[in-house]
Amino acid sequence: MIFKRMRGLHFRNYPIGYKLIVTYILLTAFPMMLLVYFSYIQYARSVEEQIGEYMPKFLYQANADIEKRIDELTTLPEMLFNSDSILGILRRSTYVKRSDLNKDQYNMNSYLARTYTNGRNADVLGVFVISNNRVFYSSKVGFKESNWSAGLSDYVQNVELGGKAKIILPGEMDLQFGSEAPYVFILKQIYDDDNRKSLGTMLIAVDLSFIDNIVRNFEKNERADLWVMNPSGKIIYHTNRSLIGTVDGDKARYPVLNGSFRSNGTGDQKLVSVNQTSNRGWILVHSIPLRDLTKSADQVRNVTVFVIIGIMLLTSIIGVFISYNMTRPLKKLTGLMKSVEMGDFQVDLKVQSGDEVGMLARSFNSMISTIRELIQKNYQIEIRQKEAELYALQSQINPHFMYNTLETIGMAVEEGETEQVVDMVTLLGRMLRFSVSNQSKSVTIAEEVQHVKDYLTIQKFRFEDRVHFDIVQVMDDRDFHALYSPKFILQPIVENAIKYGLESRKALDIHIAVSQEFGARSGKRDIVIRIRDNGPGIPSDRLSELEQSLKKISFEGRSSHFGLINVNARIVMMHGTDYGLQLHSIVDKGTEVIIRIPMIHGETIVNGED
Amino acid sequence: MYRTIATFVIIALFITSCQSGSSTRYELVYSMEPGTATGPQPVQSIAPGNRYKIGFVPKGSEIEYFRYAALGAKEAANNLGIDVILSGPESADAERQIQVVEQLIDQKVDLIAISANDPVKLVPVLQKARKSGIKVITWDADTEPQCREFFVNMVEPEVLGRHLLDTLALSMGEKGNFAIMTGSFAAANLNEWLKWINVQQSEYYPDMNLVATVATDDDQEKAYEVAKKLLEDYPNLDGILGNSSVGPPAAAHAVKEAGKSGSVKVVGLSSPNLMGPYLREGSAQIATLWSPKKLGYLTIMLAYNYLNGQMPMDGQEIDGVGNIRLNGDMVIMGEPLDFTAENVSQYDF
Repeated sequence: MIFKRMRGLHFRNYPIGYKLIVTYILLTAFPMMLLVYFSYIQYARSVEEQIGEYMPKFLYQANADIEKRIDELTTLPEMLFNSDSILGILRRSTYVKRSDLNKDQYNMNSYLARTYTNGRNADVLGVFVISNNRVFYSSKVGFKESNWSAGLSDYVQNVELGGKAKIILPGEMDLQFGSEAPYVFILKQIYDDDNRKSLGTMLIAVDLSFIDNIVRNFEKNERADLWVMNPSGKIIYHTNRSLIGTVDGDKARYPVLNGSFRSNGTGDQKLVSVNQTSNRGWILVHSIPLRDLTKSADQVRNVTVFVIIGIMLLTSIIGVFISYNMTRPLKKLTGLMKSVEMGDFQVDLKVQSGDEVGMLARSFNSMISTIRELIQKNYQIEIRQKEAELYALQSQINPHFMYNTLETIGMAVEEGETEQVVDMVTLLGRMLRFSVSNQSKSVTIAEEVQHVKDYLTIQKFRFEDRVHFDIVQVMDDRDFHALYSPKFILQPIVENAIKYGLESRKALDIHIAVSQEFGARSGKRDIVIRIRDNGPGIPSDRLSELEQSLKKISFEGRSSHFGLINVNARIVMMHGTDYGLQLHSIVDKGTEVIIRIPMIHGETIVNGED
Repeated sequence: MYRTIATFVIIALFITSCQSGSSTRYELVYSMEPGTATGPQPVQSIAPGNRYKIGFVPKGSEIEYFRYAALGAKEAANNLGIDVILSGPESADAERQIQVVEQLIDQKVDLIAISANDPVKLVPVLQKARKSGIKVITWDADTEPQCREFFVNMVEPEVLGRHLLDTLALSMGEKGNFAIMTGSFAAANLNEWLKWINVQQSEYYPDMNLVATVATDDDQEKAYEVAKKLLEDYPNLDGILGNSSVGPPAAAHAVKEAGKSGSVKVVGLSSPNLMGPYLREGSAQIATLWSPKKLGYLTIMLAYNYLNGQMPMDGQEIDGVGNIRLNGDMVIMGEPLDFTAENVSQYDF
């Protein structure tokens, strides 16, 4: 149980490509192979069974034909009794004259030739009659031995013969018959029925090639073996001539002698069919390699196997390709995630496909870019904020500003205008507190306006009639004190106006208006602060250059218009490109800077958690 | 979980299917043998310890012809492995033959094969034998059909009768006076032959004249006397035909004694051994017979088959005899043989 669970667990942990291929093989290739395997087995079985059933019937017929032919041949000796003169010769035992014997011999031999060997019985190779120490014969083929007649007489004398014919296989006799064809001898006693005694013995050499004709009627396959053996297993006839005379040692192990069986012996499997005649007991065997029977089935099987292997290879390649395609982006994603984890956000997962993997990749990409932008933005805002604070501090702790302010205070003390001194010190203190004390990035509009008013008042004390300013509030007090604005957005603009204005004008007018207006770009009511002066203005080429810098919202270091750029950048970063600074300027007439910010209630603005 | 089980099952299937293919050397596909109980070759064998006993009864045991028949019967008995009891009257005598049959009934033989001396007189005793469970067949000479199963005849009576007259006609030149010496007027077969002899003569040979038909009682002495008397009674006799085995030798002897060898032709039914000397010296011209040995042999063979429940069939081949014919309940052994001076020495009976 644990083992199986572990296997399952293991499989779950295998790569998707592996899973896909295993699943594919289990679902398609494996059932297909099984199907082919079982249908082939079934087909081969049925072919085997069919042949196994009808072949013994053919063999029965063929064996009966063979037996019938042999039976016919064993009746041949009876033809001797048809002739009285021949019977007379056979019955004669003593001769007075040699010429009588020779005459009988001549008559007998020519009778044998006429009756047996000349044409009428094609299967008879030769006949030999041994009677009373005489040998008569007529033969198409001779014995190889020169003294064959004596050997034949000896052999015949030692054979016990009943009335029945006896089949003598070539090997059983010492004499060699000079026949190429397979042959047997039929040995039969010539029995004088009338006198009730033996007249001698007749030996008929029979050509067994007629079995070829019988068996080739139903078996034309050259690879099939057919043989005939006697009950003891000695092979009388075989389609393979060299096996004639040998003994089939397996015969005793045959499960049936009338039927078919499969032989799983050495080499090929074979289908063996046998039939035994009831009379003489000869066994006709037909043996054919199973391969020959199932040749067509084998072909179909081989083709199918090749096709399946081909399909498997092809689909495996496709499967591997698909799974590679699927897993490659995932692997890449894994790698990219690791590098993101390490802090590198400059990554891009390039996947073109529109499927789930593609969607995943796109989501990943957008997620990474969002994260990257957020980080970037926070980082930039932080830097600008710090810069702005630093700038404000620097401009206030600017020794020049401090020196001028303190000198103004000193002169007022000399002139004994204590009231003015108190005012100035109070203003300076409030300005420094505004810059230093409050850590938040946003302040109420009222505070921001108060701060710039303090600054301008101090400048007014110093430059007296050269500087005039007025601040107009075009909104109700509640909003004025409830709405928030980024810190230090007015002072840098006003500082610029004073710096450039006092260079060229004797009297500088600064007009600040705080209002609520409907913004075309944001589609909402926004807070708009206009700072207008009657300074020298900005030349148009310089103005367009400045507008380009504002659009870029980039950090360019401390340039001449650092203040404007910093203010614009902070507003855009916090509230988007719908807000920011606008410049209008006419040379020698003056400049108007419009600050547009959204209406923000409370300090819970973007990045308010800082 | 299921997948692993399925995998195991499939693997197991494969293993078993592979094993079944190679487990045995020979695998039976189809068998034509009816069942394992019966052997491949059902051999009919005689029940051991129960040898058949057959009583073989000739007309007369001293008659040469029947001695040879007994030889054939013995040969068959040896070949078949059965007991044949040879017993018969010394000469052809019906009363004595009845006693012999009685003795065989007492010996409880299985079958009696008899050559009947009288077709009617033997009927009661043969019926008695059948009642006591003994099968009865006849050979050579028949009885009334109701007291035997079948009759083993040598030749077709018509063929023999006509042939015998033909041989006489051939010897006599188809004209002249002739006499017939028959064995007994009581013997059914002899009478049958006589009938056909006469039919053949009246059909084809008008110039031949039958002067007398006499009986020899199958006794050699009497036959000689009868023959001598014939020669004396009919001085112009041209031929003598004997239709039982003792007739022709006696006639030939008488003709020779009378110095009429060649002028009085002698033919008839007799054995080569009896007729050989007369044929060679010309006292007799043609003898006709079948092999009595073969007849005895055939009788025992058919008797044995009958005891085994097999009746003779037309055209049946009997080993050592050849093909037999069947005419009703009469078995015909074959064709008669003719013996002349040339071939008589070939035969030994």
